[in-house]
Amino acid sequence: MSITLDQVTKRYQGVPVVNDVSVEIGEGEFFVLLGPSGSGKSTLLRAIAGLTGVSHGRIALHGRDVTHTSARERGVGLVFQNYALFRHMTVADNIEFALRVRRMKRADRLARRKELLRLVALEGMDERLPAQLSGGQQQRVAVARALAHKPEVLLLDEPFGALDAKIREELRRTIRQVQRELGITTVLVTHDQEEAFALADRIGVMNLGRLLEMGPPGELYTRPTTRFVATFLGAANLLLGHQTRNGIHFGSPGFDGTRSHEVVAVLRPEEVELAPNRGKLDSRYLAAGSVEEIIFTGALERMRVRLTKGSDEVQLARANNGDGSFLEITRTQPEQRAFAVKVGQDVAVGFRRVHVLPTPLSSFTACAASESEVERLSRHPLLVELATRMSTRVSSRVEPALANSSVDCSAMDRHFSGAAVIASRPDALKNIECLLARGAEEVFVLPANASSPQRVLIHWADEAARAATLAVSASLLRHVSAEAVYLDVKPEHTAATERPQGMRALLDARSEAQAVHGLEMRTELHFGDATSELVRRLGESPDQLLILGISQIAGLAQRFGELLAAIPHAPLLVVYREPEPIAESQTAVGMA
Amino acid sequence: MSAAGVLTKPLRQPSVLPGFGLTFGFTTFFLSAIVLLPLAALVLMAARLSISDFFNVILDPRAVGSYRLSFGAAFLAAAINAVFGFVIAWTLVRYEFPGKKIIDALIDMPFALPTAVSGIALTTVFAQNGWVGQYLEPLGIKVAYTWIGVTVALTLIGMPFMVRTVQPALEEVQKDLEDAAETLGAGRFHIFRRIILPTVLPALLTGFALAFARGVGEYGSVIFISGNLPMKTEITPLLIVIKLEEFDYKGAAALGTVMLFISFVMLLAINLLQAWGRQRHVRSGR
Repeated sequence: MSITLDQVTKRYQGVPVVNDVSVEIGEGEFFVLLGPSGSGKSTLLRAIAGLTGVSHGRIALHGRDVTHTSARERGVGLVFQNYALFRHMTVADNIEFALRVRRMKRADRLARRKELLRLVALEGMDERLPAQLSGGQQQRVAVARALAHKPEVLLLDEPFGALDAKIREELRRTIRQVQRELGITTVLVTHDQEEAFALADRIGVMNLGRLLEMGPPGELYTRPTTRFVATFLGAANLLLGHQTRNGIHFGSPGFDGTRSHEVVAVLRPEEVELAPNRGKLDSRYLAAGSVEEIIFTGALERMRVRLTKGSDEVQLARANNGDGSFLEITRTQPEQRAFAVKVGQDVAVGFRRVHVLPTPLSSFTACAASESEVERLSRHPLLVELATRMSTRVSSRVEPALANSSVDCSAMDRHFSGAAVIASRPDALKNIECLLARGAEEVFVLPANASSPQRVLIHWADEAARAATLAVSASLLRHVSAEAVYLDVKPEHTAATERPQGMRALLDARSEAQAVHGLEMRTELHFGDATSELVRRLGESPDQLLILGISQIAGLAQRFGELLAAIPHAPLLVVYREPEPIAESQTAVGMA
Repeated sequence: MSAAGVLTKPLRQPSVLPGFGLTFGFTTFFLSAIVLLPLAALVLMAARLSISDFFNVILDPRAVGSYRLSFGAAFLAAAINAVFGFVIAWTLVRYEFPGKKIIDALIDMPFALPTAVSGIALTTVFAQNGWVGQYLEPLGIKVAYTWIGVTVALTLIGMPFMVRTVQPALEEVQKDLEDAAETLGAGRFHIFRRIILPTVLPALLTGFALAFARGVGEYGSVIFISGNLPMKTEITPLLIVIKLEEFDYKGAAALGTVMLFISFVMLLAINLLQAWGRQRHVRSGR
């Protein structure tokens, strides 16, 4: 491996900017770090270059651990967005800078310089000053300068940011060519997905300091596993659908009587088909709608279709902002010719292909005993923040049975969509029990003053809940910039000979999280009573959230009553899965 | 826009201020009224002396001694400022620390303080029984009433000029440049010598010239701390004042002319050095 990052974390004043990033970049690979501004991608690049120290983790270049090696000794080539050329030196002196530092002989320097200038197509520009060159030429000089000392790794920090579209494309081609010719391992940072697609062998998408997903461009585009990647790489309509044994369907849930499971589906704008009516569609019918807006962009036509309100209305995952649901659609010229539409026209909408995300957290449902309580709960800052970041909706549901814990809750409607959210109260455990018994799979208990967590503690009390807990944790952690800690507690009297097995289980959990969900987490093994260990850990600092996996509803109050009473300030997410031969979340992953 | 409008102003460069003619007129007028006219009067006054009298006045050993002190101390003070003013500017530009705003404001104090006040304050501190002077005395170092005191006063007076000219230049040396040099394998000294210094050198020279010019002309603060011993701690401006008090206007003008001449030559030299330095660094780039 050319570059190996192992759980690299960088904190600024306690806030993780780069959060547990692990990646291996192969020899000669062109790896693009893609993410919005503030996602930590530039910080990660600077960490690889050695210009920023890391708070935790390990960096290796070609198997050599360089975590504590200075930038000077690491000798990577780095290209900056603003070129960072030495203005008082000529092109020749800029390029030869690294060679002079290494006391290379004059003749060798000259030969190397000529070679580099040819490589970046700037022959004969030796005696120019940077100020006499165009932006594109300056960046070429910067690339040549970064390559002068034959670094093993080339790092590019938004190298095209300051250039206009045409030059950008030209330079992009040059860089790709140079990279191929030299076979040098390259990491490029950008926020431009088009650039990433054009250059990358592999893309790593970052958000909130986390490396969410990585893979070849085509793979990431057609089969993303996270909402963020689905919407950040190209446009996407996120739909809430119901996965049943007979496949996915959109609209009102569960009419065929089989047990269904809410999922998030990605519908790319180009996979939507429009027809005058349902009968004329070649693909599966999705909904009826009317054309709201058409934008002509040359090769493609982009439009927004407002979905007609009706009983079988398709649910969009994106938070409902009151003005109805829109679908984003792009159509090619042949499609436009086959069926021309005007603004305001009624159309039937079909879909050719959808991709189901494996995320177990599809949406939230605020549950409380009265209308006003539901209203208050669905406006909880943390819930709103989570829903916005996950671009999902918060539905509401009034359950009078939640008011009184002694009331029998079997009267409750059996069907649940997404995670149930309830307010934290002394007898919340009864409510949890009630909701889980009625079919909810996740219950999120929110204290009134809870804020965005800095740390998420993960613990499962029953091994059967392990896969589901990991899946839910990964899904949640992609949307908050918190560190993840998996806490395993073994009984105090565990024999010394059995302790290594505890450690092994811990590592297994970690590698499962990493392999299946791309979730990086710390692991801690404690010996003692589970509840008191959790209480102790949660008491250490505020802004912690606990994810608790269980597979047994009965006796919840006895098992965790103490826990809830001890930590009234911390949000709690209970994940429940019945002990089945195949856990729910795994089937979901399989379907994706 | 109408066709006539296009035709009537094809050649004029649009500018916020009224045209070149007017501004150039003001420039020459103010320069003449404030700088050239008084200087011409000075030279004319000196010219009333016969050649031999003129040289007698300006080559008088007491006068020559005062030149040495005035220009020597001003040069030394400017050189001290070049080093420490740079350090101060560096600290202010590169680091964040509590009280930074206050220190930044303190830099300008010598600008605002009446120079006589600075002189008296320095004398109090550095006199044989002063706060600092009493500890230097046993070491055999006398500051007040010696050339050292003069240099100290001129360093204080010139410091803001250096800091304020170097500061903006340093702000332009982006951290990226240093980062780039570091990844290319350059050590700290190399980065300073090859990247930072060449970039701020023009500003450093300008600051030097300003601090030097200010030092040569300084009067108020120096007369208190120097002790004004003829041949030893007497600066030229003081000698001029003495001549004036003796109603020897011509002699005073003669000394003034000499100062004018030396200052002009030195400032010109610094400017040429600056232009040459820029050329050299551009060309060799090392």
